[in-house]
Amino acid sequence: MNEVALVGAGVSKFGVRKATYRDLIWEAGKACFDSTPGVRPGDVEGLVVGSVMPERTAFQSHIASLAAEALGIRPSALSARTEHMCASGTVGIRYAYAFIAAGLADLVMVLGVEKLNQPSGDEAILNMGTGVDREWEAAFGLTAPPCFALAAQRHMAAYGTSEEQLALVGVKNHTHATKNPNAHFTRGATLDQVLCSRMISTPLRLYMCSPITDGAAAVLLASGERARALTDRPVWIRGTGQALDGFQLTSLHEDYAHWPALRRAAGAAYRMAGVGPADVDLAEVHDCFAIAELIAYEELGFCKKGEAGPFVAAGRSDYGGDVVVNPRGGLIGCGHPLGATGVAQAAEVFVQLRGEAGARQVPDAALGLTHNNSGMGEHVVMLYGREA
Amino acid sequence: MSYFRAIDPFPLESAEQTKLHEFYRHLGEGRLVTTRCAGCGATAWPPRGFCPACVSDRFEWVDLAREGTVHAFTVQETGLPAGFEAPRVFAIVKVDGHRVFTILTGADPGAVRVGQRVALAPLRVADDPTGHPRWLPAFRVASP
Repeated sequence: MNEVALVGAGVSKFGVRKATYRDLIWEAGKACFDSTPGVRPGDVEGLVVGSVMPERTAFQSHIASLAAEALGIRPSALSARTEHMCASGTVGIRYAYAFIAAGLADLVMVLGVEKLNQPSGDEAILNMGTGVDREWEAAFGLTAPPCFALAAQRHMAAYGTSEEQLALVGVKNHTHATKNPNAHFTRGATLDQVLCSRMISTPLRLYMCSPITDGAAAVLLASGERARALTDRPVWIRGTGQALDGFQLTSLHEDYAHWPALRRAAGAAYRMAGVGPADVDLAEVHDCFAIAELIAYEELGFCKKGEAGPFVAAGRSDYGGDVVVNPRGGLIGCGHPLGATGVAQAAEVFVQLRGEAGARQVPDAALGLTHNNSGMGEHVVMLYGREA
Repeated sequence: MSYFRAIDPFPLESAEQTKLHEFYRHLGEGRLVTTRCAGCGATAWPPRGFCPACVSDRFEWVDLAREGTVHAFTVQETGLPAGFEAPRVFAIVKVDGHRVFTILTGADPGAVRVGQRVALAPLRVADDPTGHPRWLPAFRVASP
Protein backbone atom coordinates (compact mmCIF):
# COMPACT_ATOMS: atom_id res chain seq x y z
CA MET A 1 0.00 0.00 0.00
CA ASN A 2 1.15 3.54 -0.76
CA GLU A 3 1.63 5.96 2.11
CA VAL A 4 -1.00 8.71 2.27
CA ALA A 5 -0.76 12.16 3.82
CA LEU A 6 -2.79 15.31 4.27
CA VAL A 7 -1.09 18.17 2.41
CA GLY A 8 -3.70 20.91 2.77
CA ALA A 9 -6.78 21.88 4.77
CA GLY A 10 -9.29 24.70 5.00
CA VAL A 11 -12.49 25.44 6.86
CA SER A 12 -15.32 27.91 6.25
CA LYS A 13 -16.77 30.05 9.01
CA PHE A 14 -19.27 27.84 10.90
CA GLY A 15 -22.57 29.22 12.16
CA VAL A 16 -26.06 30.27 11.14
CA ARG A 17 -24.77 31.56 7.84
CA LYS A 18 -26.25 33.93 5.33
CA ALA A 19 -24.58 31.94 2.59
CA THR A 20 -25.67 29.40 0.00
CA TYR A 21 -24.58 25.78 -0.22
CA ARG A 22 -22.23 26.75 -3.05
CA ASP A 23 -20.86 29.76 -1.09
CA LEU A 24 -19.84 27.35 1.68
CA ILE A 25 -18.12 25.04 -0.84
CA TRP A 26 -16.23 28.02 -2.25
CA GLU A 27 -15.12 29.22 1.20
CA ALA A 28 -13.72 25.87 2.34
CA GLY A 29 -12.24 25.01 -1.06
CA LYS A 30 -10.43 28.33 -1.39
CA ALA A 31 -9.10 28.08 2.16
CA CYS A 32 -7.78 24.60 1.38
CA PHE A 33 -6.06 25.69 -1.86
CA ASP A 34 -4.66 28.74 -0.02
CA SER A 35 -2.98 26.33 2.42
CA THR A 36 -1.34 24.44 -0.47
CA PRO A 37 0.21 26.90 -2.93
CA GLY A 38 1.73 24.05 -4.96
CA VAL A 39 -1.68 22.68 -5.88
CA ARG A 40 -4.16 24.34 -8.22
CA PRO A 41 -7.67 22.94 -8.85
CA GLY A 42 -6.65 21.54 -12.25
CA ASP A 43 -4.06 19.30 -10.53
CA VAL A 44 -6.58 17.47 -8.35
CA GLU A 45 -7.50 14.01 -9.68
CA GLY A 46 -10.41 13.19 -7.44
CA LEU A 47 -13.09 14.68 -5.21
CA VAL A 48 -15.21 13.07 -2.50
CA VAL A 49 -17.97 15.19 -0.96
CA GLY A 50 -19.56 14.33 2.38
CA SER A 51 -23.04 15.79 2.76
CA VAL A 52 -26.12 14.42 4.52
CA MET A 53 -29.27 16.28 3.63
CA PRO A 54 -28.85 18.71 0.71
CA GLU A 55 -31.89 17.14 -0.99
CA ARG A 56 -34.14 19.10 1.35
CA THR A 57 -32.01 21.86 2.84
CA ALA A 58 -30.43 22.96 -0.47
CA PHE A 59 -32.99 21.17 -2.69
CA GLN A 60 -30.01 19.71 -4.51
CA SER A 61 -28.55 16.28 -5.19
CA HIS A 62 -25.71 15.32 -7.59
CA ILE A 63 -23.56 17.39 -5.30
CA ALA A 64 -20.08 15.90 -5.93
CA SER A 65 -20.30 17.15 -9.52
CA LEU A 66 -21.72 20.49 -8.41
CA ALA A 67 -18.83 20.89 -5.98
CA ALA A 68 -16.23 19.82 -8.57
CA GLU A 69 -17.46 22.48 -10.95
CA ALA A 70 -17.57 25.13 -8.21
CA LEU A 71 -14.00 24.28 -7.20
CA GLY A 72 -12.60 24.03 -10.73
CA ILE A 73 -11.75 20.35 -10.29
CA ARG A 74 -12.25 17.95 -13.22
CA PRO A 75 -11.97 14.52 -11.58
CA SER A 76 -10.17 11.86 -13.59
CA ALA A 77 -9.72 9.16 -10.93
CA LEU A 78 -12.51 9.47 -8.34
CA SER A 79 -15.72 11.45 -7.94
CA ALA A 80 -18.28 10.48 -5.30
CA ARG A 81 -20.57 11.69 -2.56
CA THR A 82 -20.64 10.03 0.85
CA GLU A 83 -23.84 10.08 2.91
CA HIS A 84 -23.31 8.29 6.19
CA MET A 85 -25.14 10.62 8.54
CA CYS A 86 -22.85 12.45 10.98
CA ALA A 87 -19.74 10.47 9.97
CA SER A 88 -20.09 11.28 6.24
CA GLY A 89 -16.94 13.41 6.22
CA THR A 90 -14.59 10.83 7.72
CA VAL A 91 -16.12 8.08 5.60
CA GLY A 92 -15.19 10.27 2.62
CA ILE A 93 -11.62 10.58 3.88
CA ARG A 94 -11.42 6.79 4.13
CA TYR A 95 -12.52 6.44 0.47
CA ALA A 96 -9.89 8.92 -0.70
CA TYR A 97 -7.29 7.21 1.51
CA ALA A 98 -8.11 3.80 0.03
CA PHE A 99 -7.92 5.05 -3.57
CA ILE A 100 -4.52 6.65 -2.97
CA ALA A 101 -3.18 3.73 -0.93
CA ALA A 102 -4.21 1.39 -3.76
CA GLY A 103 -2.40 3.50 -6.35
CA LEU A 104 -5.58 4.56 -8.17
CA ALA A 105 -5.01 8.28 -7.52
CA ASP A 106 -2.25 10.56 -6.22
CA LEU A 107 -4.10 13.72 -5.23
CA VAL A 108 -7.71 13.80 -3.97
CA MET A 109 -9.75 16.48 -2.21
CA VAL A 110 -12.33 15.55 0.42
CA LEU A 111 -14.88 18.26 1.13
CA GLY A 112 -17.70 18.16 3.65
CA VAL A 113 -20.56 20.64 3.43
CA GLU A 114 -23.95 21.18 5.02
CA LYS A 115 -26.45 24.02 4.81
CA LEU A 116 -28.84 23.23 7.68
CA ASN A 117 -30.49 26.53 8.58
CA GLN A 118 -32.58 26.64 5.41
CA PRO A 119 -35.13 28.03 5.68
CA SER A 120 -34.74 27.57 9.48
CA GLY A 121 -33.24 25.17 11.99
CA ASP A 122 -36.63 23.42 12.21
CA GLU A 123 -35.98 21.94 8.78
CA ALA A 124 -32.79 20.32 10.11
CA ILE A 125 -34.64 18.94 13.15
CA LEU A 126 -37.25 17.39 10.85
CA ASN A 127 -34.50 15.92 8.67
CA MET A 128 -32.53 14.56 11.63
CA GLY A 129 -35.31 11.98 11.93
CA THR A 130 -34.03 10.46 8.69
CA GLY A 131 -30.88 9.38 10.52
CA VAL A 132 -32.78 6.91 12.70
CA ASP A 133 -35.15 4.15 11.58
CA ARG A 134 -38.25 5.78 10.06
CA GLU A 135 -40.61 2.86 10.68
CA TRP A 136 -39.58 1.83 14.20
CA GLU A 137 -38.12 5.06 15.67
CA ALA A 138 -38.61 8.28 13.70
CA ALA A 139 -42.38 7.64 13.37
CA PHE A 140 -42.50 8.38 17.12
CA GLY A 141 -40.64 11.69 16.61
CA LEU A 142 -37.18 10.38 17.54
CA THR A 143 -34.09 12.41 16.60
CA ALA A 144 -30.58 12.38 18.06
CA PRO A 145 -30.94 14.06 21.49
CA PRO A 146 -33.07 11.37 23.19
CA CYS A 147 -30.73 8.62 21.91
CA PHE A 148 -27.70 10.15 23.60
CA ALA A 149 -29.81 11.12 26.61
CA LEU A 150 -30.46 7.39 27.15
CA ALA A 151 -26.68 6.86 27.26
CA ALA A 152 -26.28 9.74 29.71
CA GLN A 153 -29.01 8.36 32.00
CA ARG A 154 -27.30 4.99 32.03
CA HIS A 155 -23.78 6.40 32.59
CA MET A 156 -25.05 8.45 35.53
CA ALA A 157 -26.86 5.48 37.07
CA ALA A 158 -24.00 3.01 36.61
CA TYR A 159 -20.97 5.17 37.42
CA GLY A 160 -22.28 8.12 39.38
CA THR A 161 -21.45 10.54 36.59
CA SER A 162 -22.89 13.91 37.59
CA GLU A 163 -24.74 16.64 35.76
CA GLU A 164 -21.81 18.90 36.63
CA GLN A 165 -19.33 16.54 34.95
CA LEU A 166 -21.49 16.53 31.82
CA ALA A 167 -21.59 20.32 32.00
CA LEU A 168 -17.79 20.52 32.25
CA VAL A 169 -17.53 19.06 28.75
CA GLY A 170 -19.71 21.96 27.56
CA VAL A 171 -17.59 24.50 29.47
CA LYS A 172 -14.32 23.08 28.09
CA ASN A 173 -15.45 22.97 24.48
CA HIS A 174 -17.17 26.37 24.53
CA THR A 175 -13.97 27.77 26.10
CA HIS A 176 -11.77 26.16 23.44
CA ALA A 177 -14.02 27.62 20.72
CA THR A 178 -13.19 31.17 21.91
CA LYS A 179 -9.76 30.63 20.31
CA ASN A 180 -11.23 29.44 17.00
CA PRO A 181 -12.45 32.31 14.81
CA ASN A 182 -14.31 29.81 12.57
CA ALA A 183 -16.37 28.39 15.46
CA HIS A 184 -20.15 28.80 15.64
CA PHE A 185 -19.86 30.04 19.25
CA THR A 186 -16.92 32.21 20.30
CA ARG A 187 -18.09 33.69 23.62
CA GLY A 188 -17.36 30.75 25.91
CA ALA A 189 -19.63 29.44 28.65
CA THR A 190 -19.43 29.17 32.44
CA LEU A 191 -20.47 26.17 34.50
CA ASP A 192 -23.53 28.09 35.71
CA GLN A 193 -24.54 28.96 32.15
CA VAL A 194 -24.36 25.33 31.10
CA LEU A 195 -26.19 24.01 34.16
CA CYS A 196 -28.91 26.66 33.86
CA SER A 197 -29.44 26.32 30.11
CA ARG A 198 -32.76 24.87 29.03
CA MET A 199 -33.45 21.16 29.15
CA ILE A 200 -33.45 19.45 25.76
CA SER A 201 -33.83 15.77 26.70
CA THR A 202 -33.22 14.70 30.30
CA PRO A 203 -30.42 15.04 31.45
CA LEU A 204 -28.94 16.88 28.43
CA ARG A 205 -29.21 20.67 28.51
CA LEU A 206 -28.75 23.06 25.59
CA TYR A 207 -25.05 23.83 26.23
CA MET A 208 -24.32 20.10 26.43
CA CYS A 209 -25.57 19.73 22.83
CA SER A 210 -24.10 20.67 19.47
CA PRO A 211 -26.09 23.33 17.60
CA ILE A 212 -27.60 23.36 14.09
CA THR A 213 -24.80 24.79 12.00
CA ASP A 214 -24.00 25.66 8.39
CA GLY A 215 -20.43 25.12 7.26
CA ALA A 216 -17.90 23.36 5.07
CA ALA A 217 -14.37 21.99 5.35
CA ALA A 218 -11.87 20.56 2.89
CA VAL A 219 -8.64 18.56 3.03
CA LEU A 220 -6.23 17.44 0.33
CA LEU A 221 -4.82 13.90 0.44
CA ALA A 222 -1.73 12.89 -1.51
CA SER A 223 0.39 9.81 -2.08
CA GLY A 224 3.70 9.75 -0.20
CA GLU A 225 5.77 10.76 -3.17
CA ARG A 226 3.46 13.60 -4.16
CA ALA A 227 3.13 14.74 -0.54
CA ARG A 228 6.90 15.05 -0.08
CA ALA A 229 7.12 17.03 -3.32
CA LEU A 230 4.39 19.43 -2.18
CA THR A 231 5.38 20.12 1.42
CA ASP A 232 8.13 19.46 3.95
CA ARG A 233 5.45 18.93 6.63
CA PRO A 234 2.94 16.34 5.42
CA VAL A 235 0.53 14.97 8.03
CA TRP A 236 0.51 11.21 7.58
CA ILE A 237 -2.47 8.90 7.91
CA ARG A 238 -1.19 6.29 10.33
CA GLY A 239 -4.28 4.24 11.10
CA THR A 240 -7.98 3.94 10.48
CA GLY A 241 -10.88 1.84 11.72
CA GLN A 242 -14.65 1.74 11.33
CA ALA A 243 -17.16 -0.51 13.09
CA LEU A 244 -20.93 -0.94 13.32
CA ASP A 245 -22.67 -2.29 16.39
CA GLY A 246 -26.22 -1.70 15.13
CA PHE A 247 -28.59 0.79 13.54
CA GLN A 248 -31.75 0.71 15.65
CA LEU A 249 -31.42 1.63 19.34
CA THR A 250 -32.72 -1.81 20.27
CA SER A 251 -29.91 -3.50 18.30
CA LEU A 252 -27.13 -1.82 20.28
CA HIS A 253 -25.39 -3.04 23.42
CA GLU A 254 -28.10 -3.39 26.07
CA ASP A 255 -26.23 -0.93 28.30
CA TYR A 256 -26.11 2.35 26.35
CA ALA A 257 -23.07 3.49 28.37
CA HIS A 258 -21.06 0.89 26.42
CA TRP A 259 -20.14 1.56 22.79
CA PRO A 260 -18.34 -1.58 21.63
CA ALA A 261 -18.20 -0.37 18.01
CA LEU A 262 -16.05 2.59 19.07
CA ARG A 263 -13.73 0.29 21.00
CA ARG A 264 -13.40 -1.92 17.89
CA ALA A 265 -12.83 1.00 15.51
CA ALA A 266 -10.21 2.50 17.83
CA GLY A 267 -8.51 -0.87 18.32
CA ALA A 268 -8.17 -1.32 14.57
CA ALA A 269 -6.70 2.17 14.14
CA TYR A 270 -4.24 1.78 17.06
CA ARG A 271 -3.06 -1.63 15.79
CA MET A 272 -2.56 -0.31 12.27
CA ALA A 273 -0.53 2.64 13.57
CA GLY A 274 1.36 0.59 16.16
CA VAL A 275 0.45 3.06 18.91
CA GLY A 276 -1.78 3.19 21.98
CA PRO A 277 -4.05 5.74 23.63
CA ALA A 278 -1.21 7.09 25.80
CA ASP A 279 0.62 8.18 22.63
CA VAL A 280 -2.17 10.50 21.46
CA ASP A 281 -1.44 14.22 21.95
CA LEU A 282 -4.75 15.59 20.76
CA ALA A 283 -8.09 14.07 19.92
CA GLU A 284 -10.96 15.52 17.94
CA VAL A 285 -13.85 13.45 19.30
CA HIS A 286 -17.49 13.48 18.26
CA ASP A 287 -19.06 15.49 21.11
CA CYS A 288 -22.47 15.83 19.45
CA PHE A 289 -23.63 15.69 23.09
CA ALA A 290 -21.48 15.96 26.22
CA ILE A 291 -22.09 12.32 27.11
CA ALA A 292 -20.60 11.24 23.78
CA GLU A 293 -17.29 12.88 24.67
CA LEU A 294 -17.24 11.19 28.09
CA ILE A 295 -17.95 7.74 26.66
CA ALA A 296 -15.37 8.37 23.92
CA TYR A 297 -12.64 8.93 26.59
CA GLU A 298 -13.42 5.45 27.87
CA GLU A 299 -13.81 3.55 24.61
CA LEU A 300 -10.73 5.26 23.10
CA GLY A 301 -8.76 4.10 26.14
CA PHE A 302 -7.89 7.51 27.59
CA CYS A 303 -9.37 6.34 30.91
CA LYS A 304 -11.08 3.26 32.33
CA LYS A 305 -14.78 2.49 31.88
CA GLY A 306 -16.82 4.65 34.22
CA GLU A 307 -14.01 7.11 35.01
CA ALA A 308 -14.74 9.73 32.34
CA GLY A 309 -16.55 12.08 34.72
CA PRO A 310 -13.59 12.47 37.12
CA PHE A 311 -11.26 12.52 34.05
CA VAL A 312 -12.82 15.70 32.64
CA ALA A 313 -13.28 17.24 36.11
CA ALA A 314 -9.53 16.85 36.81
CA GLY A 315 -8.65 18.63 33.57
CA ARG A 316 -7.03 15.54 32.11
CA SER A 317 -8.70 16.14 28.69
CA ASP A 318 -7.62 19.78 28.56
CA TYR A 319 -4.36 21.66 27.93
CA GLY A 320 -1.78 20.44 30.46
CA GLY A 321 -3.60 17.12 30.91
CA ASP A 322 -3.16 13.64 29.43
CA VAL A 323 -4.60 14.49 26.00
CA VAL A 324 -6.15 17.69 24.67
CA VAL A 325 -9.65 16.79 23.52
CA ASN A 326 -11.39 19.02 20.99
CA PRO A 327 -8.96 21.96 20.86
CA ARG A 328 -10.98 23.63 18.05
CA GLY A 329 -14.08 23.60 20.31
CA GLY A 330 -15.63 20.32 19.23
CA LEU A 331 -19.10 19.96 17.84
CA ILE A 332 -20.51 21.71 20.92
CA GLY A 333 -18.47 24.86 20.42
CA CYS A 334 -17.78 24.84 16.65
CA GLY A 335 -21.16 23.53 15.63
CA HIS A 336 -22.05 20.40 13.71
CA PRO A 337 -22.62 20.88 9.99
CA LEU A 338 -23.04 17.10 9.66
CA GLY A 339 -21.08 16.23 6.50
CA ALA A 340 -18.45 18.89 7.25
CA THR A 341 -17.69 17.76 10.80
CA GLY A 342 -15.36 14.83 10.10
CA VAL A 343 -13.43 16.86 7.53
CA ALA A 344 -13.13 19.81 9.94
CA GLN A 345 -11.75 17.41 12.56
CA ALA A 346 -9.05 16.31 10.09
CA ALA A 347 -8.35 19.95 9.20
CA GLU A 348 -7.76 20.70 12.90
CA VAL A 349 -5.36 17.79 13.28
CA PHE A 350 -3.57 19.05 10.14
CA VAL A 351 -2.87 22.52 11.56
CA GLN A 352 -2.08 21.15 15.03
CA LEU A 353 0.52 18.65 13.80
CA ARG A 354 2.14 21.32 11.62
CA GLY A 355 2.32 23.76 14.54
CA GLU A 356 0.01 26.22 12.78
CA ALA A 357 -2.88 26.27 15.26
CA GLY A 358 -2.00 29.65 16.78
CA ALA A 359 -3.66 30.48 20.10
CA ARG A 360 -5.04 26.96 20.46
CA GLN A 361 -1.83 25.10 19.55
CA VAL A 362 -1.28 21.88 21.51
CA PRO A 363 2.42 22.05 22.46
CA ASP A 364 4.63 19.71 20.40
CA ALA A 365 1.68 17.75 18.99
CA ALA A 366 2.95 14.70 17.09
CA LEU A 367 0.03 12.25 17.05
CA GLY A 368 -3.60 13.24 16.53
CA LEU A 369 -6.80 11.20 16.58
CA THR A 370 -10.21 11.90 15.09
CA HIS A 371 -13.42 10.16 16.12
CA ASN A 372 -16.59 10.64 14.08
CA ASN A 373 -19.80 8.70 14.69
CA SER A 374 -23.20 8.06 13.14
CA GLY A 375 -25.41 7.58 16.16
CA MET A 376 -24.19 5.57 19.13
CA GLY A 377 -23.80 2.35 17.16
CA GLU A 378 -21.33 3.30 14.45
CA HIS A 379 -17.88 4.85 14.78
CA VAL A 380 -14.92 5.86 12.62
CA VAL A 381 -11.45 6.56 14.03
CA MET A 382 -8.43 8.02 12.23
CA LEU A 383 -4.86 8.46 13.49
CA TYR A 384 -2.54 11.05 12.00
CA GLY A 385 1.16 11.55 12.70
CA ARG A 386 3.96 13.95 11.90
CA GLU A 387 6.10 10.95 10.99
CA ALA A 388 5.15 8.48 8.27
CA MET B 1 -44.36 31.29 -2.36
CA SER B 2 -44.80 29.45 0.91
CA TYR B 3 -42.21 26.87 1.86
CA PHE B 4 -43.51 23.39 0.95
CA ARG B 5 -42.81 20.91 3.70
CA ALA B 6 -45.59 18.29 3.49
CA ILE B 7 -43.95 14.96 4.30
CA ASP B 8 -45.40 11.75 5.74
CA PRO B 9 -43.56 10.73 8.91
CA PHE B 10 -45.41 7.41 9.39
CA PRO B 11 -44.81 3.92 7.95
CA LEU B 12 -46.71 2.29 5.11
CA GLU B 13 -48.76 -0.36 6.92
CA SER B 14 -51.38 -1.83 4.56
CA ALA B 15 -51.28 -5.27 2.91
CA GLU B 16 -50.68 -3.64 -0.48
CA GLN B 17 -47.66 -1.76 0.81
CA THR B 18 -45.62 -3.86 3.24
CA LYS B 19 -44.58 -7.42 3.91
CA LEU B 20 -45.12 -6.62 7.62
CA HIS B 21 -48.84 -5.76 7.27
CA GLU B 22 -49.83 -8.59 9.65
CA PHE B 23 -47.91 -6.84 12.41
CA TYR B 24 -49.92 -3.67 11.93
CA ARG B 25 -53.27 -5.47 11.54
CA HIS B 26 -52.70 -7.24 14.85
CA LEU B 27 -51.54 -4.01 16.48
CA GLY B 28 -54.83 -2.37 15.50
CA GLU B 29 -56.52 -5.23 17.37
CA GLY B 30 -54.47 -4.56 20.50
CA ARG B 31 -51.93 -7.38 20.00
CA LEU B 32 -48.14 -7.08 19.78
CA VAL B 33 -46.86 -9.76 17.40
CA THR B 34 -43.55 -10.45 15.74
CA THR B 35 -41.93 -12.92 13.36
CA ARG B 36 -40.68 -16.36 14.41
CA CYS B 37 -38.47 -18.08 11.84
CA ALA B 38 -39.98 -21.37 10.65
CA GLY B 39 -36.45 -22.51 9.72
CA CYS B 40 -34.57 -22.09 13.01
CA GLY B 41 -37.22 -20.95 15.47
CA ALA B 42 -35.59 -17.59 16.31
CA THR B 43 -37.97 -14.82 17.32
CA ALA B 44 -36.93 -11.34 16.17
CA TRP B 45 -37.82 -7.84 17.27
CA PRO B 46 -38.73 -5.89 15.26
CA PRO B 47 -40.23 -8.32 12.73
CA ARG B 48 -37.99 -9.17 9.79
CA GLY B 49 -38.13 -9.94 6.07
CA PHE B 50 -35.74 -12.87 6.30
CA CYS B 51 -33.86 -14.55 9.11
CA PRO B 52 -30.23 -13.38 9.47
CA ALA B 53 -29.29 -16.63 11.21
CA CYS B 54 -30.54 -19.19 8.65
CA VAL B 55 -31.65 -16.90 5.77
CA SER B 56 -35.11 -18.50 5.65
CA ASP B 57 -38.03 -16.24 4.74
CA ARG B 58 -40.70 -18.60 6.10
CA PHE B 59 -42.17 -16.98 9.21
CA GLU B 60 -45.04 -17.37 11.58
CA TRP B 61 -46.51 -14.51 13.57
CA VAL B 62 -46.34 -15.02 17.34
CA ASP B 63 -47.77 -12.93 20.16
CA LEU B 64 -45.54 -11.06 22.57
CA ALA B 65 -46.74 -10.11 26.05
CA ARG B 66 -48.91 -7.01 26.24
CA GLU B 67 -47.00 -5.81 29.30
CA GLY B 68 -43.33 -5.06 29.84
CA THR B 69 -40.95 -3.06 32.02
CA VAL B 70 -39.12 0.22 31.39
CA HIS B 71 -35.47 -0.56 30.53
CA ALA B 72 -34.43 3.05 29.83
CA PHE B 73 -36.16 6.37 29.20
CA THR B 74 -35.67 10.10 28.63
CA VAL B 75 -38.06 13.03 28.55
CA GLN B 76 -37.56 15.35 25.59
CA GLU B 77 -38.72 18.85 26.50
CA THR B 78 -37.65 20.88 23.45
CA GLY B 79 -36.42 20.39 19.90
CA LEU B 80 -38.97 17.85 18.66
CA PRO B 81 -39.64 17.66 14.94
CA ALA B 82 -42.66 19.54 13.56
CA GLY B 83 -45.87 17.65 14.29
CA PHE B 84 -44.64 15.96 17.53
CA GLU B 85 -45.62 17.43 20.90
CA ALA B 86 -43.36 18.01 23.93
CA PRO B 87 -42.82 16.81 26.56
CA ARG B 88 -42.37 13.35 25.08
CA VAL B 89 -41.29 10.27 27.04
CA PHE B 90 -39.12 8.05 24.84
CA ALA B 91 -38.52 4.62 26.32
CA ILE B 92 -37.00 1.23 25.72
CA VAL B 93 -39.41 -1.37 27.09
CA LYS B 94 -38.43 -4.97 27.80
CA VAL B 95 -41.08 -7.36 26.48
CA ASP B 96 -40.49 -11.13 26.65
CA GLY B 97 -36.72 -10.54 26.56
CA HIS B 98 -36.91 -8.20 23.54
CA ARG B 99 -36.12 -4.50 23.75
CA VAL B 100 -38.87 -2.43 22.12
CA PHE B 101 -38.41 1.26 21.33
CA THR B 102 -41.55 3.26 22.06
CA ILE B 103 -43.13 6.30 23.68
CA LEU B 104 -45.08 6.26 26.94
CA THR B 105 -48.41 7.99 26.40
CA GLY B 106 -50.37 9.65 29.18
CA ALA B 107 -47.45 9.34 31.62
CA ASP B 108 -46.45 11.97 34.16
CA PRO B 109 -42.89 12.57 32.87
CA GLY B 110 -41.64 13.23 36.39
CA ALA B 111 -42.96 9.91 37.70
CA VAL B 112 -41.51 7.46 35.15
CA ARG B 113 -38.96 5.02 36.61
CA VAL B 114 -36.67 2.32 35.24
CA GLY B 115 -38.25 -1.05 36.06
CA GLN B 116 -41.80 0.35 36.04
CA ARG B 117 -44.51 -1.87 34.51
CA VAL B 118 -46.06 -0.61 31.28
CA ALA B 119 -48.75 -1.97 28.96
CA LEU B 120 -49.20 -1.90 25.19
CA ALA B 121 -51.40 1.05 24.13
CA PRO B 122 -51.53 1.13 20.31
CA LEU B 123 -51.48 4.73 19.08
CA ARG B 124 -53.68 5.65 16.12
CA VAL B 125 -51.86 8.12 13.88
CA ALA B 126 -52.86 9.78 10.60
CA ASP B 127 -54.35 7.46 7.98
CA ASP B 128 -52.15 6.72 4.99
CA PRO B 129 -52.82 8.63 1.75
CA THR B 130 -55.32 5.96 0.64
CA GLY B 131 -57.32 6.21 3.88
CA HIS B 132 -55.93 3.04 5.48
CA PRO B 133 -55.76 3.40 9.31
CA ARG B 134 -52.29 3.37 10.88
CA TRP B 135 -51.07 2.41 14.34
CA LEU B 136 -47.78 2.67 16.25
CA PRO B 137 -46.72 0.35 19.11
CA ALA B 138 -46.91 2.87 21.98
CA PHE B 139 -47.13 1.92 25.68
CA ARG B 140 -48.70 3.46 28.79
CA VAL B 141 -47.98 3.11 32.49
CA ALA B 142 -49.74 -0.09 33.64
CA SER B 143 -52.50 0.02 36.22
CA PRO B 144 -51.25 -1.23 39.60
